[in-house]
Amino acid sequence: MKVKIKQWNGVASWLWVANDDNCGICRMAFNGCCPDCKVPGDDCPLVWGQCSHCFHMHCILKWLNSQQVQQQCPMCRQEWKFKE
Amino acid sequence: MEPDSVEMSGSGPNSGVAEAWETVTAALVSPVSSASEQSLSDLLALLNDQGLGRLLGSWLLETLQMRLSSCVVPEFWSGLKQPENEMEEKDRVWVLLTAFRTLLDRLEPFLAGLEKLGAWQDEGRGGLCGPGSKALKERAFTTIRALLLFSPAPVLQERVLEFYSRTFSVYMNREGGSEDATEAPDGPEGGCWCQQALEHLQELSHILSKLQLLEWVSSEAVTTILHKLIEMRMEQLCRGEYERSFLLEFQEWLELVLGWLAKVFASEVDGDAASLPVAPGGLGVQVVPGGGSVLKQWRCHMHQFFCRIYVNMRIEELFSIIRDFPESKAAIEDLKFCLERTNQRQQLLTSLKSAFESRLLHPGVHTSDILTVYISAIKALRELDPSMVILQVVSQPIRKYLRTREDTVRQIVAGLTGDAEGCTDLASELSRGDPVTLEMQDSDEEGNDPEDWTPDPTDAMPDKMGSKRRSSDIISLLVSIYGSKEIFIDEYRGVLADRLLQQLNYNTAREIRNVELLKLRFGESHMHYCEVMLKDMADSRRINSNIREEESKLSEEEQPPLPLSAIILSSEFWPTLKEEKLELPPVVCQAMEAYTHRYEKLKAMRTLSWKPHLGSVTLDVELEDRVLTNLTVSPIQAATIMYFQEKSSWTLEELSVKLGAPKELVHRKLALWQQQGVLREEAGGRFYVVEKGSSKEKLDRGVMLIDSDEERDSNTATQSEQREEKLQLFWVYVQAMLTNLDTMTLERIHTMLRMFVATGPVVTEMDVNELEAFLQRKVRDHQLIMSGNVYRLPKSN
Repeated sequence: MKVKIKQWNGVASWLWVANDDNCGICRMAFNGCCPDCKVPGDDCPLVWGQCSHCFHMHCILKWLNSQQVQQQCPMCRQEWKFKE
Repeated sequence: MEPDSVEMSGSGPNSGVAEAWETVTAALVSPVSSASEQSLSDLLALLNDQGLGRLLGSWLLETLQMRLSSCVVPEFWSGLKQPENEMEEKDRVWVLLTAFRTLLDRLEPFLAGLEKLGAWQDEGRGGLCGPGSKALKERAFTTIRALLLFSPAPVLQERVLEFYSRTFSVYMNREGGSEDATEAPDGPEGGCWCQQALEHLQELSHILSKLQLLEWVSSEAVTTILHKLIEMRMEQLCRGEYERSFLLEFQEWLELVLGWLAKVFASEVDGDAASLPVAPGGLGVQVVPGGGSVLKQWRCHMHQFFCRIYVNMRIEELFSIIRDFPESKAAIEDLKFCLERTNQRQQLLTSLKSAFESRLLHPGVHTSDILTVYISAIKALRELDPSMVILQVVSQPIRKYLRTREDTVRQIVAGLTGDAEGCTDLASELSRGDPVTLEMQDSDEEGNDPEDWTPDPTDAMPDKMGSKRRSSDIISLLVSIYGSKEIFIDEYRGVLADRLLQQLNYNTAREIRNVELLKLRFGESHMHYCEVMLKDMADSRRINSNIREEESKLSEEEQPPLPLSAIILSSEFWPTLKEEKLELPPVVCQAMEAYTHRYEKLKAMRTLSWKPHLGSVTLDVELEDRVLTNLTVSPIQAATIMYFQEKSSWTLEELSVKLGAPKELVHRKLALWQQQGVLREEAGGRFYVVEKGSSKEKLDRGVMLIDSDEERDSNTATQSEQREEKLQLFWVYVQAMLTNLDTMTLERIHTMLRMFVATGPVVTEMDVNELEAFLQRKVRDHQLIMSGNVYRLPKSN
């Protein structure tokens, strides 16, 4: 007997490769989106800092904009630098 | 009044007075008076002088009363009853008529006397004075009525009723044509006495009105007849017939009946003014325009009868009317018209409510049927009662009942998306795209002109909702059964997820449309999750073609081992998917890894987590003597058959281990392959590949296993699975109880469970049978022992 697979339609869910489940700023799931967004994934991406913490991009930008003096990571208070 | 000198003055010539009294009284009671007018006047004057004039009236009435009670009344009644044994109808009519004729004959002299005396009094002849003719007559008729009808024998009513019914049918036959086909009244000779009957009717009416008995003798009979006839006619014409309006038809018919009434009350109508002899054969209809007040009254009565009888009948039938609704609109409109004229709303409410309870709300009716009737009821009752109060009150039990059904929400959602068979109302209602959103109804803003405000009917339920919340929108009503739209949206998400996951071609046009329509209803924010789900589908398609393109650039050897495409979900936005363990064959796993790898390249920092048990597989099976092509199966079925490539026989245990899935599941899934004739099961739970299938064997198998496992399983956790979970929860309680109490009967366990675990709508509805089935399963699994009628736990070591 020989089985020939013509088409396999699988189901998968995508997830961010991150060291946490939730965004430290908005407390929403990384795999969801930030409070301002409707659609997760490409439209509401994550960004990583050099301190290895990551947040929703929109969340961290909002945070950084609200910081007048020095831009720090909200988690570890190191200076925030985007990871290249 | 005259001064009080009543006592006879003895001075006058007594003999002269006595003579005068004799003459005058004789003149009063005998129709042919011997005395001349002039001498009478003189005599009257004489009597008056003696103060006797005013006794004349009393005397006359006294005499009338004596005569009545001593002979006229007994004569009348015995005349009526006289021939006791059976007679022809015609004869009975004759007896009736004769009795009244004699009555009139006997009373006529007195009436004439009264007339005369009254006239004298009116003109004050010979100084005579008194109450006048009108008052005298009034008193006389009262006396007659009182004595005659003080204890009427039932025979009178019977006879009158019979006679009237007869003349009625005769009349209607003549006027209404053959439509009222009551059999023609045949006399004993076979000859028709229709004409005669009508003449008799006229005479009787005449006599009765002369004696001012008409109303007293006839009313009851007429009322009875009208009632009976309207009822009969309605029974014949309208019962079960909801599709046309009967109002006009009956209006016409009632006018016709009025013609007959005019005949019955003819003398009273035109006889009040002057006692003209009724023109023979004069059609009643001609009398109508003159419209004696009596007839007007009767017309009102008839309408009232009609409305009441109609409403009564329709109330009885309302359930069927509602069931047939769009077709039965005419009946609803008629009912509305009549209901406004009778005070029967309460009756309608009670009756309809109990009809629903006895005919609809029991376990024998499918949920979708209940919903269909409920939808019809909404439509029908909003025609009947725009204030929606009836609907609100009546639908209370339906809503309460639907709340206890597990599949209500699913059925409604299926109806909304047009998936339910036979129930297309909801889908069309949804696509009507009514801008009535649920939000609007929640708001406090009533928005109406205060001038348009009308108070609620008195039978409205005194709830805080008020009329503004009494919506007539079908979808809002259905959705509000559970009091929240979230439940519906969750359910819809489940349905949508199932549909999307079962699709192979990413074609979502229909779902997009549905979601858009639902957005109009429920608001954007609630449908947000569904939108993301649809977007996932579109994204998946793009990613797939992207990855395909990549793959096509690869060399032959690097091509993935099997063509894999994927639906990639945003897990946060999809309903919780059923978790099942499944180990796929290495070749599939490799393909998935490769796919994941490409995805990771495409989307930085993201990866995929596969749900191996979900999806679908299209494959060919090549056997020695045949090829099965383009089978579409579930992943577990595909995986199973792929393992049979490695070796041609497996036991259930081996497969179960290999697949990492429970044995029962594997067994169920294998049924498909047995059905296809690819595998066969032999003793010891071992399965073999059937390389050479004789066609006969195949046929046998097809018949044998035809209904094994063909229904598509839902991918989201189903109601029954949730229920199973609940039952498992019970198991903990049962175990605890049995540990403490050692042995328990089924009933005892059931009562205890109801007492302790009475939470949630699903749990409370569990009945004894279900529990028994569950416990029996446990007994089979040797987790429980049943001996006699009691359950106990097996001894643990």
